[in-house]
Amino acid sequence: MALFRFSSALDPMRDLIALQQELDRFFENPRGLDLGVSGRGVFPPVNIFSDKDGYVIRVEIPGVAPDQLRIDAEGRTLTISGKREDGKSGDASFHRRERDMGEFSRSLQLPDNLALDRAEAAYQHGILTVRVPKTEEAKPRQITVKAA
Amino acid sequence: MAKQEDAAPKKQEVAGEEQTRAGRTFVPQVDICETPEGLWLWADMPGVDDKSVEVRLDEGVLTIQGQVSLEDYENLAPVYTEYNVGNYFRRFSLSQDVDTDHIKGRMNNGVLQLELPKSARAKPRRIEVTVS
Repeated sequence: MALFRFSSALDPMRDLIALQQELDRFFENPRGLDLGVSGRGVFPPVNIFSDKDGYVIRVEIPGVAPDQLRIDAEGRTLTISGKREDGKSGDASFHRRERDMGEFSRSLQLPDNLALDRAEAAYQHGILTVRVPKTEEAKPRQITVKAA
Repeated sequence: MAKQEDAAPKKQEVAGEEQTRAGRTFVPQVDICETPEGLWLWADMPGVDDKSVEVRLDEGVLTIQGQVSLEDYENLAPVYTEYNVGNYFRRFSLSQDVDTDHIKGRMNNGVLQLELPKSARAKPRRIEVTVS
């Protein structure tokens, strides 16, 4: 008896708790996929999602100008790097200094059914979102059944 | 600046405060610095825009809150996660020397920037000593 495993996209998540529990379940667990995420635990943190069109990579990196972000694609590897600088200097004394600053670089090795050359990136509200679509061959096709 | 090699702390959950909204709430990381003119505060709240941020000052207590939108996560299935997503909340007790009428706030690229000028009497003053 064959056992079919369907990987379905998550239902639209309206509940914040449901989203948080789902993110928890995948915490640092690549689910068997060899994503080769480098520098885990170093800022900025990275989340990787999939939808029906491909992969969606999110990076929380508030307070940078888009031209300070650099995204390189080579082979299957996506590298996100840049530099975050803070604003004040001079005759200021810091009461607290908690925010991560400085140069950063994160590398991800993506599955080979993705077209890295067609990746698109957008930066909004301090979150960088990179969408990497599936290759044409990887897109689901429906196979028509001909009457023989 | 040297490249960041040490681990970034995971988001800390707010302890000891119950929010009316369900779900985990996180403490935004802040930088606070003081100049002769006043205090500056920057809070990292990625995912929050100027419409979903709230700053209040009551009786010397500064409260900053930010809401994130869940719409960005619809139809996405997690594959690998390092950070969780949630609203932000943090509270500070300020000394009474803030000129509350002239506090300025800006929300840009997920960073809340507050300028809290010192009230006139709190600014360091030089007292002229004249020879009589």
